[in-house]
Amino acid sequence: MGPQTAELKVSVASTSPFLDFWQTFSRNRMAVAGLVMLVTIITLAVFASVLAPYDPKSSVDITSSDIYNPPSSAHWLGTDDAGRDILSSFLFGARVSLIVGFFAAFISVIIGGTIGVVAGFYGGRTENLLMRFTDLMLVIPDLPLIVVIVALTKPSLLNIIIIIGVFGWTTTARIVRSQTLAVKSRKFVLRARAIGAGNVHIIMKHILPLVMPLLVVNAILVISLAILNESTLSFLGLGDPTATSWGQMLNFAFVRGAMSAGAWWALVMPGVGIAWVVFGLTLFGQGLEQVLNPRLESHHLSPGRRSVQSDAVIESATVKKKSKKRKDAPLLLDVRNLSVNYISHDNVVAKAVHNVSLQLHEGELVGLVGESGCGKTTLMLALMRLLPAAGQIVNGHINFRGKDLTTLNEDELQKLRWSGISIIFQGAMNALNPVRTVGDQIKEAIIKHMPSYAPGVLDDRVIELLDLVGISKDYKDQYPHQYSGGMRQRAMIAMALSCDPDVIIADEPTTALDVMIQAQILELLDDLRKKLGLAIIFVTHDLGVVAEMCDSVLVMYGGVTAEYADVDTIYNAARHPYTQELLKSFPDLSQPEKRLISIPGYPPKLDELPEGCRFAPRCPLAFERCTKEMPILHELEDGYHIASCHLVEGG
Amino acid sequence: MNRWRYFRNKAGWSIFTLIFVIVLNFFLFRVMPGDPARQGIRDPRLTKETIEAIRVRFGLDKPVINCIDSLNPVRFGSCAVNPLDTQFFIYVKNLFNGDLGFSYYYNRPVSDILGERLWNTILLIGVGQILAIVIGVILGVLAAWKARSAIDYGALLISLLAWSLPVFWLGIILVFWGSNHGFPIGGKATPGISSYPFFTQVGDLIWHLLLPTFTYTVIFMGEYTLLMRSSLLDVLSEDYILTAKAKGLSTFQILKDHALKNGMLPIVTLIAINLGYTVAGVIQIESVFSWPGLGGALFEAVSRRDFPILQGGFLLIAVSVIIANFIADLTYSYLDPRVQTE
Repeated sequence: MGPQTAELKVSVASTSPFLDFWQTFSRNRMAVAGLVMLVTIITLAVFASVLAPYDPKSSVDITSSDIYNPPSSAHWLGTDDAGRDILSSFLFGARVSLIVGFFAAFISVIIGGTIGVVAGFYGGRTENLLMRFTDLMLVIPDLPLIVVIVALTKPSLLNIIIIIGVFGWTTTARIVRSQTLAVKSRKFVLRARAIGAGNVHIIMKHILPLVMPLLVVNAILVISLAILNESTLSFLGLGDPTATSWGQMLNFAFVRGAMSAGAWWALVMPGVGIAWVVFGLTLFGQGLEQVLNPRLESHHLSPGRRSVQSDAVIESATVKKKSKKRKDAPLLLDVRNLSVNYISHDNVVAKAVHNVSLQLHEGELVGLVGESGCGKTTLMLALMRLLPAAGQIVNGHINFRGKDLTTLNEDELQKLRWSGISIIFQGAMNALNPVRTVGDQIKEAIIKHMPSYAPGVLDDRVIELLDLVGISKDYKDQYPHQYSGGMRQRAMIAMALSCDPDVIIADEPTTALDVMIQAQILELLDDLRKKLGLAIIFVTHDLGVVAEMCDSVLVMYGGVTAEYADVDTIYNAARHPYTQELLKSFPDLSQPEKRLISIPGYPPKLDELPEGCRFAPRCPLAFERCTKEMPILHELEDGYHIASCHLVEGG
Repeated sequence: MNRWRYFRNKAGWSIFTLIFVIVLNFFLFRVMPGDPARQGIRDPRLTKETIEAIRVRFGLDKPVINCIDSLNPVRFGSCAVNPLDTQFFIYVKNLFNGDLGFSYYYNRPVSDILGERLWNTILLIGVGQILAIVIGVILGVLAAWKARSAIDYGALLISLLAWSLPVFWLGIILVFWGSNHGFPIGGKATPGISSYPFFTQVGDLIWHLLLPTFTYTVIFMGEYTLLMRSSLLDVLSEDYILTAKAKGLSTFQILKDHALKNGMLPIVTLIAINLGYTVAGVIQIESVFSWPGLGGALFEAVSRRDFPILQGGFLLIAVSVIIANFIADLTYSYLDPRVQTE
């Protein structure tokens, strides 16, 4: 559904999942930079006793004139207030800060992980109680609490580790719980339960491995928080007096007059150390999260690709098709040989729509039919130039009101959208903004396109529109969630009508609605079409609806036109095997004994299209030529009926 | 109707946490190893008369509560003691009278000392928080809108770096730099400024507020940027944004009218959650800049072992955070109409 279909999964052949992970990881610059920063500082800390030029505890220079000596060849980073070498203190300080960070985080992750898994897995009262407790701990400011407790107890390294660890688990518990909830209803967990596996076994064998990646990312955050907390404690003078951490070095320098002595060297390095580790951890964690949980490349406001006009001559019959019923009505929208490609970030090209033509006359209702993934939605989005950033019109023209929409710039498009062509999206729950009233969202379009409406009349217009689709005016200032599913879809229709468009695109407007409501909505659309003289492009799976309402039908398969004809022709004299198969899978209530046959297999992946006819792999009538050569559009019956199949060649 | 129920639920929860904090605050200082309260009345800084006054006022010669006397070591008191005649009851009673204890160092009631300082902290947090939110949100919106561009990566790096800096260290560096460039090195007013005209005094206050606020803004801005960016990236991928685009709205209109309010929702939650961390930051900033606020008082109390200030300060901070959380919940329900019906 929606433009998300454009997201392509490109599978890379690999030998092991670990190698896979490493490949993506090494391509993520943030993760690699963070890892390098961490490895550097850990190495320095591990080899501190080898690398440090002096003993950090003993004063090297005892005379008072040597206090706060600036960096020199003997002391690269200078000396502190007691004449100690700062570089050596820095290297040994790294040990203390890292040890506190890692061990405190270990405690936090164990506590938080256990609480999260238990709450998520057992649910019910256990979960309620544990999560309430977590919320409680989340509200209490942790650092002041840690400060108070450390101040009340003996500030030894072990105490500090335990206290920081014991109060740092809340975020872990929340994250792990929601992940456990998401994982526990997966099939293999349910299956393990069904065959009688014990809870502990399920948690260890099935839940934990799935929670682990998230837990690792969270643990990295917890480590950096623990290091920051330790440094703050030490800076406040609550550090272990026998183990000098970076925070403590800063505390000494700050309290013992480094500022007034102008000894910047005593102040800069320890802070750089803390920032280095925390920044390294943060980069590593963020990068790791991107690797484990890749986000979409773009969103609806990302700049799209400009359409390019290759004007390559595409081998096919010139489309003259005009609906028999409407042949006197003037042509509104003329789509010629339109092709749309999706280009992924790896430059894989998917030909989502290829060489599709479509004519829409005043008052005409065209049905657009085909299975999911056949390019219907892409075609509709292309008509309004609303393709996602990866999509690109590579060929063809969209002529509307004397203009070619493929050549318009963004400003011109904005003026044309909704006032010329509007669209009813499928799933109105998501297509309406949840935090604005429905009336407001309708009004907005009118203000944009019909500035002549005075503010006072605006509300009347909104009420009139709602009335037109059968919604009481009391609902004008309600939010979408206060509407029922059918009402939301009606509201969406009212919105689409708001600026008197010539053409309305209805993209599966009745999916996810129950049958009664579906019928109501369809009847409403048909009424409005007759009343207002609208031209509608109706995208649907439902051939029954098509038979009842449409004037003509465009059947799409794998991004190309399979067949395009009058509705009567399609139902009585379909020539393309795909259309014929589709009709077989549509229940005919007049012949109840006839079995429903669904077409075996799936439409082709748009980035792995077969060489010949795109339907050939599933076609019951396919012969050798079909797998080698792509059929072109053939004209039948004076151009009122076209089909792309080798079988209909030459009429 | 729903709004009222939502309000009642949230209010009930806040009151529950409030009670929890009050109880925690008592036990933390009365039954922790070392019995700080009892030790306190042996503090050499206090006169004999004061010690006697404190003893009576807080009932320190009475059992902590009936049955349990102290947790260190676990001592069992007499369960026959009247619960109204215990330290805990006196503590709660004092609390309701606004009595937070008596500072060993200042020889003055804790509530007087903290009361003076509370407003200075609110000023610092208020200005810093507003700046951090405004700048952070703007950066986040830019980063999300121009996702995967140089602006995006720049904003991301700056935010991550700002988040990684130890607050007190950034403060120290700024004090160090500021003292060489004519900035005041601490406090909130130049001595003797009170004899000058009002506007000179205000100018002096702003001058003193500049560096602490800057520190605060830099540290907290990054997180807002990161959250706004990721929340807006989600919102901008929603179907209703496509609807807005199909309606012919301009990019600016879409951001302003459709994305921002929805994208701000998690920010409101973060502001409330962050207040706990904010307090941690304020302790550090106030210590470094000698800003006469609550955080500075806590810092001094730690080094002076002035436990009543520590106890009162912790309670005040915890209560403020709970109230702020409650306000954030109400704001959220105002911003997101769906909340009330859930």
